[in-house]
Amino acid sequence: MTSPILSINDAVKTYGSIRALDQVNLDVAEGEFLTLLGPSGSGKTTLLSAIAGFIKMDGGSLTLRSEDITNRPPEHRDFGMVFQGYALFPTMTVRENVGFPLKVRKKPAAEIQKKVNDALEMVQMGAFADRMPSQLSGGQQQRIALARAMSFSPQVLLLDEPLSALDKKLRADLQWELKALHNQLGVTFIYVTHDQDEALSMSDRIIILKDGSIQQQGDPNTLYNRPRNKFVADFLGKSNFIDVTVGAQTGTTLQCAAKGVAFNVETDTHNAAGSDVKLALRPERLKLGAPGEEFLPAVVKQVSYLGERCQVIVKHETLGEMLISCPTWKTDITPVAGLAVSIGWDPDAPVVLSED
Amino acid sequence: MMPRSTFQIFFQTGAWVVIAFLVLPLLVVLPISFTDTSYIGLPKHGLSIQHYVNYFTDAAWLGATWTSIWIGLVVATCATVLGTAFAIGCWFLSDRASSIARWVLITPILVPPVVQSLGFYRFWVVLGLIDTNMGVILAHTLLALPYVSISVFAALTNLDRNIPRAARSLGASVLQTVWAVVVPAAKPGIATGFIFAFIVSFDEIVGVLFITVRRVSTLPKMIWEGIQDNIDPTIAAVATVLVVITLAATAIGVMRKK
Repeated sequence: MTSPILSINDAVKTYGSIRALDQVNLDVAEGEFLTLLGPSGSGKTTLLSAIAGFIKMDGGSLTLRSEDITNRPPEHRDFGMVFQGYALFPTMTVRENVGFPLKVRKKPAAEIQKKVNDALEMVQMGAFADRMPSQLSGGQQQRIALARAMSFSPQVLLLDEPLSALDKKLRADLQWELKALHNQLGVTFIYVTHDQDEALSMSDRIIILKDGSIQQQGDPNTLYNRPRNKFVADFLGKSNFIDVTVGAQTGTTLQCAAKGVAFNVETDTHNAAGSDVKLALRPERLKLGAPGEEFLPAVVKQVSYLGERCQVIVKHETLGEMLISCPTWKTDITPVAGLAVSIGWDPDAPVVLSED
Repeated sequence: MMPRSTFQIFFQTGAWVVIAFLVLPLLVVLPISFTDTSYIGLPKHGLSIQHYVNYFTDAAWLGATWTSIWIGLVVATCATVLGTAFAIGCWFLSDRASSIARWVLITPILVPPVVQSLGFYRFWVVLGLIDTNMGVILAHTLLALPYVSISVFAALTNLDRNIPRAARSLGASVLQTVWAVVVPAAKPGIATGFIFAFIVSFDEIVGVLFITVRRVSTLPKMIWEGIQDNIDPTIAAVATVLVVITLAATAIGVMRKK
């Protein structure tokens, strides 16, 4: 990584006995779309608030372009911020809202006028300049909030669950727009969300947080396909977990035994013979077939039809229940509860988790 | 028309009785104010405007009216500034201490006026504020404060708590944030609070009776003394003028809203 635009070093924040941030270290690269992902209470919003300067950390430091900004007030950090509830100023028009950061910086009127128009064009809201925020829909208000946070060309844009108050379809549209805007402007985005789809679809890099500490970080593809622990494997997408005892490992092929079932797994990790490990298996990597077609017999417990996909819960005698997600257009069998089927997977489908 | 049940008749009658109870005492001052007698009573031989003439020409009545108005305006201004600052401060903090502070500020509404006035009296004697305009202004400001802060609180309840954060992140200092974002949002509450504070001061009598003697005379005090001393029908004229002004102000307010 070239020298980071923003560094968080050993950030600590406690609320009573709860450690909202527990020694968090993070470097943010210039121009990156970075997502902080985690369930509620994971510390992601606390981390963003600390970056914005709204809360004082109990320990650790913050550097912006190798300058210490730990104690700098939020108004001097030059970060734009977009909030979940839009936080538009209700008594100002759209134009006044977007011009606010320029006005407090005492820019000349002509420059304000131009930059406001540019920012509104950027989010395709030019026609709404003289409306009041209350006259706009949620999606439109969030566009204005985005234009306002960008109008003064901030160094970093902080986004705190900006789409979670919007309906599903609009959210999907705005994900595309945000990504396009990020590519077009090249500004560093730090995006907080609890929605894994948002994180996967937009980010260059995802930081997964739990109980105030980073669980794993990486690009969406790596995180999804190579989760390090059970939490990541289950939070980012769904996973089936199988506890196995490791047999011999020859090269990348690992012999596994789980409750009377033996199979081979392709892995790039090294595991000592006799050790117990946990495997994560994505529902879409499991295959469903007629009895005898795949290597494990099972019975269908429950089926959920989702249009292009079909989710099936099957039960194997010793391994227990497993979730399978199969494309509806290419399955030969129609799963119904009580049907005898067989399940299987390719040797490279299970991921050996390196920690619990 | 639907046949009415006993139940409906009972409650409708009750409603009319309550309205009559509220409005009739107001209406009774109207004929009294036009009486041709020199004491409080209904007109005997004909209508007369002599008591209105008296009110608008008598130096004492006009002086008391003017005193009430200017003290009311000063009180409303002081109470609005202090009450708004208090409410905005508490809104920003919104922790345990600030909610306790809110309750403490509201106590002037809870404590009986007589008790409070006694307190003012004892304290003002020490401070040498008895029978001074300053003493009245201070006492009234204290009484009017809760009304201002309550109405500003009400205006701020629906304001998104992220709004000041948004302003800060956009480059505004704390002061700029309060001035450019929070105060405008609280404006309806501030205006209501100002009017309330004025009315509280204009209307206040118990405190004034305790802490003034001869030098300071407000309109409610003049009316009170008018009844005590000489049963002058001018007070009915004054009361009618006040009712008419109130009705006019309400009507203008309603029409502007439409």
